[in-house]
Amino acid sequence: MSTLHVLSHSPFSDSRLDSCLRLCGAQDAILLCGDATYALQAGSAPFKALEVSAVVIFVLAEDAQARGLSLPEWAKSVDYPGFVQLSIDHDKVNSWL
Amino acid sequence: MNTLTVGARALELDKDGYLADLNDWSTEVANALASAEELELTDEHWEILELLRGFYQEFQLSPATRPLIKYTALKLGPEKGNSLHLNRLFKGTPAKLAAKLAGLPRPTNCL
Amino acid sequence: MSRSLLVISRQAPWSGPSAREALDVVLAGGAFDLPIGLLFLDDGVFQLAPAQNAKAVQQKDVTANLQALSLFGIDEVFACSHSLAERGLSAPDSAQPLSSEQISQMIDRYDQVMTL
Repeated sequence: MSTLHVLSHSPFSDSRLDSCLRLCGAQDAILLCGDATYALQAGSAPFKALEVSAVVIFVLAEDAQARGLSLPEWAKSVDYPGFVQLSIDHDKVNSWL
Repeated sequence: MNTLTVGARALELDKDGYLADLNDWSTEVANALASAEELELTDEHWEILELLRGFYQEFQLSPATRPLIKYTALKLGPEKGNSLHLNRLFKGTPAKLAAKLAGLPRPTNCL
Repeated sequence: MSRSLLVISRQAPWSGPSAREALDVVLAGGAFDLPIGLLFLDDGVFQLAPAQNAKAVQQKDVTANLQALSLFGIDEVFACSHSLAERGLSAPDSAQPLSSEQISQMIDRYDQVMTL
């Protein structure tokens, strides 16, 4: 069973990303959108945490672009149709509201 | 604004006819609310109304039907804590009507 | 067969509507006899802390409501051990503590998950 975890809050003001990484199963993936894309800020603590994590990371391309973030090779870029496809490919979606 | 007149007092009711202020409740008020529903309160009714007020004291919410039945069975035994008995006493809608007569807010999880 | 739902409540009880909303989802689901689970995570575990007093801030008492869960047919109530330990709370009677790994497996088991 796989879960797509959707995060949209900044990892610098909130513990969602930390907890999510802690609870992610082997089949799970994380999609970063909105301010959660700041986790891809190079050199930051959340960046390092994601880099060493075994979890597959997706990022909503336009939200990262808007924030001027460059994507590391381990983060897979998706557009909105790609987001929908990911939701279908996983058994369930857990939005961290 | 809805009001209920009991003796010389006019008590405020919400749009569904529930007491706006829990502290307005008394046995007199319960009787007035019951007669507005064309119901005459017997000892069997009072027993449930007291139970409901206890439930609210303890949990700070009005029970939906299922928890009301469960709680009644727990406190008064299964011969009273069943839907047949409670439906008979409260015209088929025990959670809503009994909460109203006990002066509690409308059960929120009872659709 | 109804689909099972796990509600993850991760906000403290007095800071905003999230804790109340999570509880309302759970109680409504219970009233309809859905297979439902409730997990306290992060600051959500503060909902389980002892000696809280809603009257001090003129609010409805979420913590009193929690005691009614089993009457609403909600028997699957869990708390994240990591979050409890981080906050210096001991395991409460009202929720079963789970490790991160156990939580991960539990999320797998439910059909749907909602995090508030």
